[in-house]
Amino acid sequence: MTSTIDTAVPAGNPPPAPPRADGRRTGGRRRPLGQVLTPYLLLAPAVVAVLALVGWPAVLVVLTSLRKMDLGELVRGQVVWTGFDNYATVLGDPEFWKITLRTVLFTAACVLTTLLGGLLISLLMRQLGRVVRTALQICMVLAWAMPILSATTVFQWVFDQHYGILNKTLVLVGLSTFEGHNWFASGASTLFVIGVLVCWQAIPFVAFSLYAGLIGIPRELYEAAGMDGANPWQTFRSVTWPTLRPIVMMMTFLQLLWDFKIFAQVWAFRQGGPNGESTTLPVLQYLKGIAGSHFGVAAAVSVLMVVVLLVLTVQYLRMLVRSQEVDL
Amino acid sequence: MRADRAMTPRRVVLSAVGLVAAAFFAFPVYWMVSSALKPTNQMQSTGFDLVPTSLTGQHFLSAVDKPGFGDALVNSLVVTLVAVLFSLVAGLLAAIPLARLRFRGRKGFLLLVLVAQMAPFEALLIPMYLMMRDADLLDKMPALVLVYFAATLPFTAWTLRGFVQGIPAELEEAAMVDGCNRWGAFRRVTLPLLGPGLVATSVFGFITAWNEFLFALVLFQDQSKRTLPVWLSTFQTAFGTDWGGTMAASTLFTLPVVVFFLIVQRNMVAGVTAGAVKG
Amino acid sequence: MKRWKRLAVGAAALAVATSGCGMGGSSGSGGDQGGDKTLTVWLMDGSAPKGFTDELHKEFEGQHPGVKVKYEVQLWKGIQDKLVTALASNNPPDVIELGNTQTARFSAENTLTDLTGSAKDLAGDQWLSGLKESATWDGKQYAMPFYAANRTVIYRKDLFEKAGVTKTPTSREEWLDAIRKVKAANAGDPEFEALYLPGQSWYVWLSFLWDEGGEVTRQDGKNFKAAVDSPEAKAAVEYYKQLVDTAGTKAAKDQDEATPQQYEVFAKGKTAMMVALPWEHANAVKANPQLKEVTAAFPIPSKEAGRTAPVFLGGSNVAIPAGSKRQDLAKDYLKLLSSVKYQNKIAKDGGAVPGTSKDVSALASDPVAGPMALAAQHGRVTPTTPKWGPVEAGQNPLKDMLTAALTGQKTPADAVRDANAKIGQALGG
Repeated sequence: MTSTIDTAVPAGNPPPAPPRADGRRTGGRRRPLGQVLTPYLLLAPAVVAVLALVGWPAVLVVLTSLRKMDLGELVRGQVVWTGFDNYATVLGDPEFWKITLRTVLFTAACVLTTLLGGLLISLLMRQLGRVVRTALQICMVLAWAMPILSATTVFQWVFDQHYGILNKTLVLVGLSTFEGHNWFASGASTLFVIGVLVCWQAIPFVAFSLYAGLIGIPRELYEAAGMDGANPWQTFRSVTWPTLRPIVMMMTFLQLLWDFKIFAQVWAFRQGGPNGESTTLPVLQYLKGIAGSHFGVAAAVSVLMVVVLLVLTVQYLRMLVRSQEVDL
Repeated sequence: MRADRAMTPRRVVLSAVGLVAAAFFAFPVYWMVSSALKPTNQMQSTGFDLVPTSLTGQHFLSAVDKPGFGDALVNSLVVTLVAVLFSLVAGLLAAIPLARLRFRGRKGFLLLVLVAQMAPFEALLIPMYLMMRDADLLDKMPALVLVYFAATLPFTAWTLRGFVQGIPAELEEAAMVDGCNRWGAFRRVTLPLLGPGLVATSVFGFITAWNEFLFALVLFQDQSKRTLPVWLSTFQTAFGTDWGGTMAASTLFTLPVVVFFLIVQRNMVAGVTAGAVKG
Repeated sequence: MKRWKRLAVGAAALAVATSGCGMGGSSGSGGDQGGDKTLTVWLMDGSAPKGFTDELHKEFEGQHPGVKVKYEVQLWKGIQDKLVTALASNNPPDVIELGNTQTARFSAENTLTDLTGSAKDLAGDQWLSGLKESATWDGKQYAMPFYAANRTVIYRKDLFEKAGVTKTPTSREEWLDAIRKVKAANAGDPEFEALYLPGQSWYVWLSFLWDEGGEVTRQDGKNFKAAVDSPEAKAAVEYYKQLVDTAGTKAAKDQDEATPQQYEVFAKGKTAMMVALPWEHANAVKANPQLKEVTAAFPIPSKEAGRTAPVFLGGSNVAIPAGSKRQDLAKDYLKLLSSVKYQNKIAKDGGAVPGTSKDVSALASDPVAGPMALAAQHGRVTPTTPKWGPVEAGQNPLKDMLTAALTGQKTPADAVRDANAKIGQALGG
């Protein structure tokens, strides 16, 4: 058992320590036990951390959603069970389903754009010379790293009706209809601008991840495909895509979860306005729950959001559970 | 198949596209920096101000002078780096068996990780706060390290698993035929190829922790323990927001991420080419 | 008397400690703040100049040998979360500052110490009525007024002069008149604005509403009912629209005064008037020092000549969290803060209207703060119900109402009706 731990330790510390693995082969007879235990030992730190630091608070959130927990109850540590009252409050809002649908559509648009953008950029990076590629990479890291506070502010400035550089530029190139154009006049237009911001900051990560997958593909495979006379599309289908597919799937899934939960950006622009037309579920959670210190209601929205996400991803999760070779 | 080094038209077009894309990503950053350099009364201008007409270094000076910058920088670096290191270690340890081995409970764990990502993290604020309070960790750095570790771990484990899977197991098997044992094969073949994946993942973790505001604000009361995002928000006062200062501070705030990226990029991507040759 | 009380509290604390229930975490949970003789005070960023707090705390520590004041300046961003979690901790701060629109939420939940009985020690008869109202819940007083500020019309003396406006407007009609004149005198400059007024400056609108005799809500016992659906509210919207149209302001109709910050616009020197707080004026002067000599203020005029319109009072209260373990010390702290000496300093050093003193003579000579201080005595606040906070925090129906009316999407009558329905929903639910 000690030996398995030894094997595991250097792995987490790249670049790894000098090889000590050579002596390990003597343990051949004890392998079955070692092999049974290895995965669990390797998983142990992650499992413990996730259960204790995410799982337990999450259970508390579910419990909170069944309680009346306003400021007073929280401060005094009172426990007042109210069954499904909080859920009734949230679901009783005539806007709830409309907002849910809007959130789903917004998420879908962001995820699709991000993934497509990221894929194209990663393929492009593969083709670029070193200098341009590095320039592109640094620009992307800058975008990715820009604090959300400044990013949302800069986007508001750029899209500003009168002072914004975008309208001024559009007018300058002859599109005079953009003189004084208000990008935030409707919910759809507001969400469009927010979507641009979200994708702009999300694409770098997806592009880097896909690029990481791309350069892992041995060059020989491309050469072989080239010799077989495959055109670029066929090469992409037969060589590139099989490697990228798991990463694309994974990224789609992650982006879906993240974009669904975006709050700061949506809030910063118009607090879900005008007239509530850009309100998404996290904004609803803030308005109904946090803003009035109704933490039970906020927790209920959290739970409902997870339920919606589970419904959206059930197909994916089912595949995950059923498939023998979990490669999605 | 690969274009050669000559400037073929194809290369020129692709390079142009690459530069346009770079400009798209850089523009808001440029706007942040140029706003930081504009005098306050030119921040909102009706003229065409793509290039600022007059520059001032005053916002940068006031940002660096603002009390707490040094403390906050150190605090942020420590908390972020420790949390990222923890989650890379634990994440990679988990990713290997998840991608390569078959064992009972594997799918259960995968589902756990997935669902862990679904909960809105801010919703955990109050339970987390109460937990930290009961563990007597308020106002202590480990509390924040734990929070960021928890925030980035599920994601790290999940993506690293994907990257490990993306590397054909056959490469490892070939190495094992060449006389490596399982671990040796992993270390010599897979790990180097994982480099770029580790870059993407660790930069992600770094940025997530680096930017986090709410937990950093709530878990610490002691002002000397502010992190950079909290410090950044001191530009928003009851007397309006000092946008020039905010933009200058944000610029300073962004730089360490780029440095971090360049460092990990160099160290990890270098491994790829080496690994690819062997593979 | 005081010593006796402290003894009693001490005995009670001892009883709790020995019985072993609760309070477990109080020892050192916050590092060095756990000691019995430390009073933790949270004031907001920008509320009190450093010289003010240094002197206050020195005097307080002198009066209470062995006691240390742990003073922490809180940021406005995220303050709600910070206060909520801090109050839920084992060792909450002993004195906190609360924005006046924020106070009701805390007082209505019994999370603050009832100060009704202590008011007389805290100069209770001198309290600024608007702030006092904001800290009252169910007939009890949960916080002490700290300081306040309110809006006036900041104007350019030089531009008024140039346009032949010799005296500051004292009625709404005169105000419109002044706008027309200043506008005409600068007609050649396309960037010039006689009055910068964003479409969603709803605090300004509140002045017009109250001036008309209207109300945002009507109180019925503990219940608040929306009352914006009134002829007065409609008239206020109409006057707001008239102001915006007459001035031809280029300010966005769907933004408030914070985006862009109106003082940045004013600082460019192409604006003759803005309705603003003194600090906005100070910031404008900081960005453009030439403005210092040529700016002054007049109170927001009423529709009746010679009167001034009621104004929304922005400001803060100070309160003692119910969970504070040093209640008496905290009360002593409030007592010192409410003393004439420090109240005068709030006016003199802070340039704000003091919360527990009606003496505003320190402000009178200031061309901007003087008119403000006069108007403050008729200051009003938003409905003091915990349900009002969320209305204001997010999608304020009054802002949407103004935008809709100004852009012509809705008639003023429709706009107030819709806003009323939404406010009613928020207050009822």
